[in-house]
Amino acid sequence: MESLTKTILPWLLWLWLVGVILGAFLYAPPAVGFRGSSRILFFHVPMAWVSFVAFLAAGVESLRYLYGGRAPRHDRSAAAAVELGLAFGVLATVTGALWAKVMWGAYWNWDPRQTSILVALLFYAAYLALRAALEDRETRARLSAAYAVLGLVVAPFLYFVMPRMAEFTLHPEPVINRTGKVDMDGKMVLVLMSSLAGFTALYFWLHNLQCRIAELAERRASLEGDRP
Amino acid sequence: MNAMNDVGGANGWILAVNLIVWTGIFLYLLHLNRKLRDMEKDR
Repeated sequence: MESLTKTILPWLLWLWLVGVILGAFLYAPPAVGFRGSSRILFFHVPMAWVSFVAFLAAGVESLRYLYGGRAPRHDRSAAAAVELGLAFGVLATVTGALWAKVMWGAYWNWDPRQTSILVALLFYAAYLALRAALEDRETRARLSAAYAVLGLVVAPFLYFVMPRMAEFTLHPEPVINRTGKVDMDGKMVLVLMSSLAGFTALYFWLHNLQCRIAELAERRASLEGDRP
Repeated sequence: MNAMNDVGGANGWILAVNLIVWTGIFLYLLHLNRKLRDMEKDR
Protein backbone atom coordinates (compact mmCIF):
# COMPACT_ATOMS: atom_id res chain seq x y z
CA MET A 1 0.00 0.00 0.00
CA GLU A 2 2.86 2.34 0.86
CA SER A 3 4.63 1.71 -2.44
CA LEU A 4 1.33 2.33 -4.22
CA THR A 5 1.01 5.78 -2.67
CA LYS A 6 4.69 6.45 -3.34
CA THR A 7 4.51 5.63 -7.04
CA ILE A 8 0.96 6.35 -8.20
CA LEU A 9 0.05 9.44 -6.18
CA PRO A 10 2.96 11.59 -7.47
CA TRP A 11 2.02 10.74 -11.06
CA LEU A 12 -1.63 11.50 -10.39
CA LEU A 13 -0.58 14.84 -8.93
CA TRP A 14 1.55 15.68 -11.98
CA LEU A 15 -1.37 14.74 -14.25
CA TRP A 16 -3.65 16.95 -12.17
CA LEU A 17 -1.24 19.88 -12.40
CA VAL A 18 -0.83 19.43 -16.17
CA GLY A 19 -4.64 19.54 -16.33
CA VAL A 20 -4.60 22.78 -14.34
CA ILE A 21 -2.06 24.37 -16.70
CA LEU A 22 -4.06 23.33 -19.76
CA GLY A 23 -7.27 24.50 -18.09
CA ALA A 24 -5.72 27.87 -17.27
CA PHE A 25 -4.73 28.52 -20.90
CA LEU A 26 -7.34 26.64 -22.91
CA TYR A 27 -10.50 26.36 -20.82
CA ALA A 28 -10.86 29.37 -18.53
CA PRO A 29 -11.81 32.65 -20.21
CA PRO A 30 -9.73 35.79 -19.53
CA ALA A 31 -11.13 38.04 -16.80
CA VAL A 32 -13.06 41.07 -18.01
CA GLY A 33 -10.74 44.10 -18.16
CA PHE A 34 -7.53 42.12 -17.66
CA ARG A 35 -7.23 40.24 -20.99
CA GLY A 36 -4.87 37.26 -21.06
CA SER A 37 -2.77 38.54 -18.17
CA SER A 38 -5.50 37.44 -15.76
CA ARG A 39 -4.33 33.83 -16.29
CA ILE A 40 -1.51 34.44 -13.81
CA LEU A 41 -4.31 34.27 -11.22
CA PHE A 42 -4.38 30.46 -11.53
CA PHE A 43 -0.76 30.25 -10.35
CA HIS A 44 -0.20 33.42 -8.33
CA VAL A 45 -3.15 32.93 -5.94
CA PRO A 46 -2.40 29.23 -5.18
CA MET A 47 1.27 30.09 -4.50
CA ALA A 48 0.22 32.80 -2.03
CA TRP A 49 -2.32 30.39 -0.53
CA VAL A 50 0.26 27.62 -0.10
CA SER A 51 2.67 30.04 1.58
CA PHE A 52 -0.10 30.95 4.04
CA VAL A 53 -0.98 27.27 4.65
CA ALA A 54 2.71 26.53 5.25
CA PHE A 55 3.11 29.37 7.76
CA LEU A 56 -0.05 28.28 9.54
CA ALA A 57 1.18 24.66 9.58
CA ALA A 58 4.49 25.86 11.06
CA GLY A 59 2.57 27.55 13.88
CA VAL A 60 0.45 24.47 14.56
CA GLU A 61 3.49 22.15 14.52
CA SER A 62 5.25 24.55 16.90
CA LEU A 63 2.30 24.42 19.28
CA ARG A 64 2.43 20.63 19.11
CA TYR A 65 6.14 20.79 19.85
CA LEU A 66 5.72 23.08 22.86
CA TYR A 67 2.69 21.33 24.36
CA GLY A 68 2.99 17.82 22.93
CA GLY A 69 6.05 16.41 24.65
CA ARG A 70 8.73 18.36 22.74
CA ALA A 71 9.05 15.70 20.04
CA PRO A 72 11.82 16.76 17.58
CA ARG A 73 9.67 15.69 14.61
CA HIS A 74 7.32 18.63 15.25
CA ASP A 75 10.27 21.03 15.25
CA ARG A 76 11.57 19.59 11.97
CA SER A 77 8.10 19.78 10.48
CA ALA A 78 7.71 23.46 11.47
CA ALA A 79 11.10 24.38 10.01
CA ALA A 80 10.35 22.55 6.74
CA ALA A 81 6.97 24.30 6.53
CA VAL A 82 8.56 27.75 6.96
CA GLU A 83 11.17 26.99 4.28
CA LEU A 84 8.47 25.95 1.82
CA GLY A 85 6.23 28.87 2.83
CA LEU A 86 9.06 31.27 2.06
CA ALA A 87 9.77 29.61 -1.30
CA PHE A 88 6.12 29.78 -2.38
CA GLY A 89 5.77 33.29 -0.91
CA VAL A 90 8.70 34.50 -3.01
CA LEU A 91 7.18 32.87 -6.10
CA ALA A 92 3.83 34.58 -5.37
CA THR A 93 5.59 37.92 -4.92
CA VAL A 94 7.59 37.57 -8.13
CA THR A 95 4.58 36.49 -10.22
CA GLY A 96 2.61 39.35 -8.67
CA ALA A 97 5.36 41.84 -9.50
CA LEU A 98 5.48 40.62 -13.12
CA TRP A 99 1.72 41.05 -13.38
CA ALA A 100 2.02 44.52 -11.78
CA LYS A 101 4.52 45.52 -14.48
CA VAL A 102 2.07 44.46 -17.20
CA MET A 103 -1.03 46.05 -15.61
CA TRP A 104 0.28 48.93 -13.50
CA GLY A 105 3.49 49.77 -15.35
CA ALA A 106 5.90 49.05 -12.48
CA TYR A 107 7.12 45.90 -10.76
CA TRP A 108 6.79 47.34 -7.27
CA ASN A 109 4.20 49.90 -6.18
CA TRP A 110 4.11 49.56 -2.38
CA ASP A 111 0.52 48.44 -2.76
CA PRO A 112 -0.91 47.26 0.62
CA ARG A 113 -0.94 43.63 -0.56
CA GLN A 114 2.62 43.80 -1.90
CA THR A 115 3.78 45.44 1.32
CA SER A 116 2.02 42.98 3.60
CA ILE A 117 3.44 39.90 1.86
CA LEU A 118 6.90 41.47 1.95
CA VAL A 119 6.57 41.98 5.73
CA ALA A 120 5.33 38.38 6.11
CA LEU A 121 8.34 37.07 4.15
CA LEU A 122 10.73 39.14 6.29
CA PHE A 123 9.03 37.85 9.45
CA TYR A 124 9.58 34.23 8.42
CA ALA A 125 13.07 34.88 7.05
CA ALA A 126 13.85 36.05 10.58
CA TYR A 127 12.60 32.66 11.84
CA LEU A 128 15.25 30.92 9.74
CA ALA A 129 17.88 33.45 10.86
CA LEU A 130 16.93 32.72 14.47
CA ARG A 131 17.33 28.97 13.90
CA ALA A 132 20.67 29.47 12.19
CA ALA A 133 21.93 31.57 15.10
CA LEU A 134 21.25 28.94 17.79
CA GLU A 135 23.51 25.92 18.07
CA ASP A 136 21.87 23.99 20.88
CA ARG A 137 19.14 21.83 19.36
CA GLU A 138 16.64 22.12 22.19
CA THR A 139 17.07 25.87 22.67
CA ARG A 140 16.73 26.34 18.92
CA ALA A 141 13.58 24.25 18.79
CA ARG A 142 11.98 25.95 21.82
CA LEU A 143 12.69 29.54 20.79
CA SER A 144 11.81 29.08 17.14
CA ALA A 145 8.59 27.30 18.15
CA ALA A 146 7.60 30.27 20.32
CA TYR A 147 8.37 32.58 17.37
CA ALA A 148 6.32 30.48 14.93
CA VAL A 149 3.38 30.44 17.36
CA LEU A 150 3.47 34.25 17.24
CA GLY A 151 3.17 33.81 13.48
CA LEU A 152 -0.30 32.30 14.00
CA VAL A 153 -1.44 35.86 14.72
CA VAL A 154 0.94 37.69 12.39
CA ALA A 155 0.32 35.65 9.22
CA PRO A 156 -3.53 35.88 9.16
CA PHE A 157 -3.25 39.59 9.93
CA LEU A 158 -0.77 40.26 7.12
CA TYR A 159 -2.50 38.03 4.56
CA PHE A 160 -6.14 38.81 5.22
CA VAL A 161 -6.67 41.77 7.57
CA MET A 162 -4.07 44.40 6.69
CA PRO A 163 -4.71 44.46 2.90
CA ARG A 164 -8.44 44.92 3.59
CA MET A 165 -7.83 47.77 6.01
CA ALA A 166 -6.30 49.96 3.31
CA GLU A 167 -8.63 52.55 1.81
CA PHE A 168 -7.03 52.35 -1.62
CA THR A 169 -5.42 49.42 -3.41
CA LEU A 170 -4.46 48.75 -6.99
CA HIS A 171 -4.77 45.01 -6.39
CA PRO A 172 -7.88 43.34 -7.85
CA GLU A 173 -10.57 42.19 -5.43
CA PRO A 174 -9.66 38.99 -3.60
CA VAL A 175 -11.34 35.75 -4.77
CA ILE A 176 -13.91 36.17 -1.98
CA ASN A 177 -14.68 39.86 -2.38
CA ARG A 178 -15.65 42.51 0.16
CA THR A 179 -19.29 41.46 0.01
CA GLY A 180 -18.31 37.88 0.83
CA LYS A 181 -19.13 36.56 -2.65
CA VAL A 182 -17.09 34.95 -5.42
CA ASP A 183 -17.68 37.26 -8.39
CA MET A 184 -15.97 35.18 -11.07
CA ASP A 185 -16.82 33.15 -14.17
CA GLY A 186 -17.71 29.53 -13.29
CA LYS A 187 -14.94 28.10 -15.52
CA MET A 188 -12.39 30.36 -13.85
CA VAL A 189 -13.57 29.25 -10.40
CA LEU A 190 -13.25 25.58 -11.44
CA VAL A 191 -9.67 26.00 -12.70
CA LEU A 192 -8.71 28.13 -9.70
CA MET A 193 -10.09 25.61 -7.19
CA SER A 194 -8.35 22.75 -9.04
CA SER A 195 -5.12 24.72 -8.95
CA LEU A 196 -5.51 25.45 -5.23
CA ALA A 197 -6.05 21.74 -4.56
CA GLY A 198 -3.07 20.74 -6.76
CA PHE A 199 -0.70 23.26 -5.22
CA THR A 200 -1.79 22.28 -1.69
CA ALA A 201 -1.11 18.59 -2.47
CA LEU A 202 2.25 19.56 -3.99
CA TYR A 203 3.10 21.42 -0.77
CA PHE A 204 2.30 18.37 1.39
CA TRP A 205 4.40 16.15 -0.88
CA LEU A 206 7.41 18.51 -0.72
CA HIS A 207 6.94 18.91 3.03
CA ASN A 208 6.89 15.16 3.55
CA LEU A 209 10.13 14.72 1.57
CA GLN A 210 11.84 17.56 3.45
CA CYS A 211 10.82 16.14 6.85
CA ARG A 212 12.15 12.69 5.96
CA ILE A 213 15.46 14.19 4.79
CA ALA A 214 15.74 16.34 7.95
CA GLU A 215 15.06 13.28 10.13
CA LEU A 216 17.76 11.22 8.40
CA ALA A 217 20.21 14.12 8.55
CA GLU A 218 19.57 14.54 12.27
CA ARG A 219 20.02 10.83 12.89
CA ARG A 220 23.27 10.81 10.94
CA ALA A 221 24.53 13.86 12.85
CA SER A 222 23.76 12.25 16.20
CA LEU A 223 25.48 9.00 15.11
CA GLU A 224 28.57 10.94 14.04
CA GLY A 225 28.44 12.80 17.37
CA ASP A 226 28.42 9.49 19.26
CA ARG A 227 31.55 8.23 17.51
CA PRO A 228 34.75 8.46 19.57
CA MET B 1 -9.28 27.54 -27.84
CA ASN B 2 -9.39 31.32 -28.35
CA ALA B 3 -7.27 31.64 -25.23
CA MET B 4 -4.17 30.47 -27.07
CA ASN B 5 -4.56 33.07 -29.81
CA ASP B 6 -2.66 35.67 -27.84
CA VAL B 7 0.26 33.45 -26.89
CA GLY B 8 2.68 35.99 -28.31
CA GLY B 9 1.02 38.77 -26.36
CA ALA B 10 -0.39 38.83 -22.86
CA ASN B 11 -0.13 35.05 -22.46
CA GLY B 12 3.49 34.80 -23.60
CA TRP B 13 5.05 35.96 -20.36
CA ILE B 14 2.67 33.81 -18.29
CA LEU B 15 3.72 30.77 -20.33
CA ALA B 16 7.37 31.69 -19.77
CA VAL B 17 6.84 32.15 -16.02
CA ASN B 18 5.05 28.80 -15.83
CA LEU B 19 7.82 27.07 -17.74
CA ILE B 20 10.44 28.43 -15.33
CA VAL B 21 8.40 27.75 -12.17
CA TRP B 22 7.42 24.19 -13.09
CA THR B 23 10.90 23.31 -14.29
CA GLY B 24 12.24 24.64 -10.98
CA ILE B 25 9.74 22.68 -8.89
CA PHE B 26 10.36 19.51 -10.91
CA LEU B 27 14.15 19.79 -10.56
CA TYR B 28 13.80 20.52 -6.84
CA LEU B 29 11.64 17.41 -6.42
CA LEU B 30 14.18 15.31 -8.30
CA HIS B 31 16.91 16.74 -6.07
CA LEU B 32 14.96 15.93 -2.87
CA ASN B 33 14.16 12.45 -4.13
CA ARG B 34 17.80 11.70 -4.98
CA LYS B 35 19.01 13.09 -1.66
CA LEU B 36 16.48 11.00 0.25
CA ARG B 37 17.44 7.85 -1.67
CA ASP B 38 21.15 8.43 -1.03
CA MET B 39 20.59 9.04 2.68
CA GLU B 40 18.41 5.94 3.04
CA LYS B 41 21.09 3.92 1.23
CA ASP B 42 23.76 5.29 3.60
CA ARG B 43 21.68 4.26 6.57
